[in-house]
Amino acid sequence: MSDFVYYSGIPSFVVMLGIAMVAIVIFLVGMYLNMKKWGNGSASHFLSVFLKKINHEKYGHHPRQSLLSTIFLDIMLQRRILRRSPFRWVMHMLIFIGWIGMFVLSMVFAMFEMLHLVGIGNIDLNVTRNSLDFANEILGYMLLIGLIIAIVRRLAISDVSKRTQMFDWVLVLGTLVITITGFMAEGFRPDAITGAWTFLGANIELAQAFALFHVTISLLFCIAYIPYSKYMHMLAAPMVILVNGGGE
Amino acid sequence: MADEEKTMPEIPKGQPFIKTEMIDPIFMMQYDACTRCGECEKWCPALDAKDGDRKYSPMNKISRFREYMGRSYGLKAKLFGSKRLDEDDIQDFADAFFHCSTCGVCATVCEAGINTVDMYEATRQQLVMRGNGPYGKTVNFPKLIGEYRNPYLKQQSQRLDWIPDDVEIAEKADVAYFAGCTAGFNQQVLGVCTARVLNHLNVPFIYLGEEEWCCSSAIIRTGQPHKGDIPKITALHNVEALEAKGVKQVMFACAGCYRVATIDWPKQIGRKPNFEVVHVADLLAQLIQEGKIEWKKSFDNKIITYHDPCHLGRHCGVYETPRVVLDNLPGLKFVEMDRIKGLQRCCGAGGGVKAGIPDMALDIASERIRDAQAVKADILSSCCPFCRRNIGDGRDSVYDQVGSTNYDLRDNPDNEMQVEDMIVLVAELMGLSTKIKSQEEEEEKLDHLKDKV
Ligand code: SF4
Ligand code: SF4
Ligand code: SF4
Repeated sequence: MSDFVYYSGIPSFVVMLGIAMVAIVIFLVGMYLNMKKWGNGSASHFLSVFLKKINHEKYGHHPRQSLLSTIFLDIMLQRRILRRSPFRWVMHMLIFIGWIGMFVLSMVFAMFEMLHLVGIGNIDLNVTRNSLDFANEILGYMLLIGLIIAIVRRLAISDVSKRTQMFDWVLVLGTLVITITGFMAEGFRPDAITGAWTFLGANIELAQAFALFHVTISLLFCIAYIPYSKYMHMLAAPMVILVNGGGE
Repeated sequence: MADEEKTMPEIPKGQPFIKTEMIDPIFMMQYDACTRCGECEKWCPALDAKDGDRKYSPMNKISRFREYMGRSYGLKAKLFGSKRLDEDDIQDFADAFFHCSTCGVCATVCEAGINTVDMYEATRQQLVMRGNGPYGKTVNFPKLIGEYRNPYLKQQSQRLDWIPDDVEIAEKADVAYFAGCTAGFNQQVLGVCTARVLNHLNVPFIYLGEEEWCCSSAIIRTGQPHKGDIPKITALHNVEALEAKGVKQVMFACAGCYRVATIDWPKQIGRKPNFEVVHVADLLAQLIQEGKIEWKKSFDNKIITYHDPCHLGRHCGVYETPRVVLDNLPGLKFVEMDRIKGLQRCCGAGGGVKAGIPDMALDIASERIRDAQAVKADILSSCCPFCRRNIGDGRDSVYDQVGSTNYDLRDNPDNEMQVEDMIVLVAELMGLSTKIKSQEEEEEKLDHLKDKV
């Protein structure tokens, strides 16, 4: 197998780059429309209010906590969820860390691929990928376990199932499909060195097909789709927590 | 409705069906931040009072408005024009939206940190401007307050009528007492007790009298501040009048007015007033802790519990000082109910609910009475005239139910609970009269008659 055929798991890095560009453009258009909607017809008005309010004075006896506490305790550690339900917090953290972690690792690997393509450094992509395998595997399982908890919760807890709408299912099931196809692409990979999914058996064609599918829907669903869906809360909620100084 | 729809012109491309100019960009973003976790549904008193009808769920209301926004401003709306929304559906949504006491517990528990109360008030304003609100009698607030400077149809010249002869009001002092309309006109016992307690503690205070205008809380909470700009006008007037008197502190015994002075006045006038806003509980707690209060009377081993007014507690963060006061009243054992402080269960009066949807206010208050019954409280106290009135009504309704439906009173069947404001209890235990001027005049007349006979 030549290097070029199988880097990030898809036949051509260029294809992936093209899809990524399209996804980013769709994402940016969606974000612009959202900011325009929030800013009563003007995205720049929204941005200026947002920036101004990050440090505005809060009236009443609730003092504004430091920006660092808000970012660390309320956005990254999601303290507000922990206060209400440790169980939901575990579920959220599994999904949050799994999702963000894999996103970051994908970006890191894409960067190596680009460096390799333009010939900077002497990068062996197979070695690089294999060295990220373990972390990817752990993060993937965190995401999977978090999603399974989310699905079981929505089905088994009557209060939760009563208020669940299609809107909620699309997000959970969409992410589940992405996670599983990711594991399958990995499992079919002939040179996968770790992973429980190797039981699927080496099959380069299937590995490439699943990888292409996985990367495409990841980019479209996890980036392009964000501003048009319930996924938007992933960006809006931290932004709200930031301006509200951690919330009430 | 169908005919109406036919005659309504198509919304031109790019023009939204619901406008948003009254809704701050951050509040607009908040609608998209809801993760639909459902936590708010577990706590919302309005949803409880409506037996879990999800139309009244905060999460559901947020989702509905977000959907309207999507149809008005989403990609499709940009490409093909804003989608016509069903007017009946919008009215149904608006009605649900006004079934909310703006208690703010949904903000406290919200995992996305959404400041629901301000967002609801701004959205209410937009709905009112669109003709979809407010609810019931609350529509009269701007007219009444605009014309009379109070919601009780009284003349400003009557502002001093509540002051009994024994109460001393200073010409000049560092402290001003802002009585508010309810203590001044409707529940005068609160104004009288506050004034007597301050006199007793040698805290000289001035009172604006005819110059005191309504705080306009009711207008802001029901989304009508744009009608004549009354909250801005009254805020500016009150702040300037108080500043002109050169006071350093303004004392409140009403949670609603205190909330307005703390949060809404600075917003309305665009700056912080040049005086400190203090609740009378803060002063009392401080004096108790310094050992400066002497009690003349005592209760006979009664159990007391405290209901945090949402406007004082959750909105402004004053939780401890009323507890310090109540915990130190002689002859009383202080116990906590379920759902207190930040997670307090609202009494149901706020947000225009008492005036607009009295049945719901009563149902919510009844729940609060049951919380107090569960800890076998003899006295349920608070620091807000609206809580006092509404929880009192709730008490009457629960005890009526005992007679008619044999409601389980948790081993406390004969205990008719006393609902009383902290300041009245304090005055009573200091040995001060809690009689209002008209009661005293009545008594005087009777004595006079007796003498004659
Ligand atoms: S403010 Fe209170 S009454 Fe209104 S939706 Fe939130 S929890 Fe319910
Ligand atoms: S608690 Fe907040 S995030 Fe959760 S459903 Fe309610 S409004 Fe949405
Ligand atoms: S009356 Fe009291 S508890 Fe009820 S809404 Fe107002 S402040 Fe809140």
